[in-house]
Amino acid sequence: MKTPSTITKIMALAKKEARDILQNRIYLLVVLVQVFIIIGAVGLVAVAAVASDPALLDQVGVTSALNIGLPQNLEGSSLSKYLEEEKITLNYYNTTDEAKLELGTKLVAVVDLSSSGEVVVQVDTSNVFYPVVSTKISDAVDKFNTEKTLKNAGLNESQVNIIQNPVNFQEIKINQDNQVPLALDSPYFVEVIYGFIVPFILLLPFFLASNIVTDSVVGEKERKTFEVLLMTPLSSYMVIIGKIIPILFFSLIQSIAWIAVLDLLRVPIFNPGLLVLVLFFMGLAFIGVGILISMLVDSTKEANSAITLVLVFATFILFIPLFVKSEIFQGVFNFIPTVLMVKLAVSPNIRPEIMLYLLPTLIISFLIFVGTVRSFRHERAIRL
Amino acid sequence: MKLNMNFSIITRWEFKNTLKSKKFLLIFFMQLSVLAMLIFMFNSFAANIESEKGLSLTPSLVDFATLDVDDQGGLFKKSIDQEIIKIYSTNGNSSFLRIEAGETNGLYTVSSDSIVRIQNGEIVDTVLYLDYADPRRSVIRDSINTTTKSVSSALTQSYLQSANPSNNTPQAGLKEEKTGESLPMQIIKKVMLVVLLFLPLFLFGNIIIDSVVGEKERKTAEILVAMPISPGEILLGKGLAVVAISALQVVMWIVVLIAAGFTINNVILVYLLVVLTAVPIVGLTSIIAAYAKNYKEAGIGITFAYVMVVGFLIVPALAYISRKSFSANISPMTTVMRLFAGEAITIPEILMSVTFVIILSIIFFGIATWLFRRDDVLFGPRPGPVKLTLQFLRIKKR
Repeated sequence: MKTPSTITKIMALAKKEARDILQNRIYLLVVLVQVFIIIGAVGLVAVAAVASDPALLDQVGVTSALNIGLPQNLEGSSLSKYLEEEKITLNYYNTTDEAKLELGTKLVAVVDLSSSGEVVVQVDTSNVFYPVVSTKISDAVDKFNTEKTLKNAGLNESQVNIIQNPVNFQEIKINQDNQVPLALDSPYFVEVIYGFIVPFILLLPFFLASNIVTDSVVGEKERKTFEVLLMTPLSSYMVIIGKIIPILFFSLIQSIAWIAVLDLLRVPIFNPGLLVLVLFFMGLAFIGVGILISMLVDSTKEANSAITLVLVFATFILFIPLFVKSEIFQGVFNFIPTVLMVKLAVSPNIRPEIMLYLLPTLIISFLIFVGTVRSFRHERAIRL
Repeated sequence: MKLNMNFSIITRWEFKNTLKSKKFLLIFFMQLSVLAMLIFMFNSFAANIESEKGLSLTPSLVDFATLDVDDQGGLFKKSIDQEIIKIYSTNGNSSFLRIEAGETNGLYTVSSDSIVRIQNGEIVDTVLYLDYADPRRSVIRDSINTTTKSVSSALTQSYLQSANPSNNTPQAGLKEEKTGESLPMQIIKKVMLVVLLFLPLFLFGNIIIDSVVGEKERKTAEILVAMPISPGEILLGKGLAVVAISALQVVMWIVVLIAAGFTINNVILVYLLVVLTAVPIVGLTSIIAAYAKNYKEAGIGITFAYVMVVGFLIVPALAYISRKSFSANISPMTTVMRLFAGEAITIPEILMSVTFVIILSIIFFGIATWLFRRDDVLFGPRPGPVKLTLQFLRIKKR
């Protein structure tokens, strides 16, 4: 049981550390830079989402960028009519070969009708609008082919209607009064934002905290104030807690602020309380590893190299599972905290049992914490 | 000639000293293991993307959303993309309760007699009930739209066949001929490889920082300054040692990359250009090292500086992929990318980045030496950055 005086002592150490951090102007600048990174990331994904979604592109009205080339003899044909309906800009040339010269510069594709009645398309796959143009062209060609076949079949109007639209689709909205405002109602946007950007942004403060953390012990060793720290009348546990609290607290505050910023940018984040809990334990692990490395190395040079390596490995373990599908490892992936963060952030209603997936992270951060304390005790034993 | 010998002594001394440290060697080789991991991830990532229709860089999101599906005929259920959406087969009775409880994001119903209707050539009705309180609604809507479209066009084709059994019109299809490698693939192959090639240059800034800032912190800078070598030579000596170590690591990385099956054309030219780029990076690091008071400042300054350097290197290379412009060659990354891809590249284009790199090296080392020569920067009290800049531009007198 901690007595009040012990808590006062820890708070004194924590306050000193906090002052050191806040006086570091560069750290404060870095916090500000993160806001720009967030806005930039969300904006970039929004632009990419619009560029890859035909419906959104039509809404935004970027038709002028979707240029395809056709030979003059196709002007006024039903194929060109269907292509125009798809909101593509048609450019006519005397011959198809003339059009092909502009492929890759002005034109995304060149469409021609062969003598056998087959539609031949040449596309520039390196163009950023290729997927959208490809979809639109195939839709137009489908309609063109259907129309051609129907003309030869001699069917009545209702039969034609059924053949062209055999499936009736209706969408009914539920819970519209609780409708969440989304920056962009696009699947690509939702997938990339929640599947990668949200965990990345929420973890940024912890990645950037590692620079501060390595200084915490190695810096003390080099400035010859480490022995003073070893002599403080506090148990090793309390010293480590005192060192961890400030940076963990600041990083958590930043993450909470970023949740608010994302909400403002119309990327609603659900279950913020549970997310903060996950971030707390992840932060404990990150910062704990930073302090541990700090104690094991002799110089800041080595500490910086080591923490860089650790961050690289951490990035792999935390972010690669978000992009990889693996039947063997899928079960294991559920225990990775970033995967849990994605599920928490995107689900308005969540079953509390999902937090059981946090157990391995909890255990690992606890072990790191204990390891750090042990290391500090060891230092006390050999240096004093 | 005595001048040259002096700084080469420092270079040799620093080089030997660094390589002697066991911990440094450990980290040096661990970085190679990081490279091996990067190669492995890159290969599996590229294979994963190539196997999917429509190359796109999206997260995998297994079981991202759940959808209740009531499709007794099974035709529509089969076409739903099950990688992102988890399907829960149901007769729809409990689905609305499940939506309220958050156990599912929607209900998709298909007419129960869908197969019969198809056989009679009648329209099939489908309804999607979507929970709008959930952001995943757009993912589900998009997936069901795709399903509807694909089943629809399959049905259209089969109806056309049955309406026209003696189909005289040739089955006009769509023949697509592709030119140019798809954009995401290009980004992955070229940009990732060029980033891997330049990565070693950023891993050794710590040596310079320790070299210079360490002298300040250990209070041995006075001794160094008292030596009969000019500050410029000291910095140059230390800098070249780091360039030599980076050159060593780049060579090892290139060997590993080639052994892993990557094709690198014009290897020697690529290697020389990468190592040459190390020089201004070390120069910039020296400026930060000369100005920083302690390791903490230096560390954060380096983080910022390297992020900007990476930006300057990579943005022209990315821009070059989408629009081949001459000015993108100002970044050595673009030139290296074109060289190892075996593209036809002219001498002026190569010279553009080489000249840029050399000019930057001279500028950076010049500034670093100017700072290092000053007692107030080395020992304090250190003037602020604005004052220093004004003095450098000779606007303000010292």
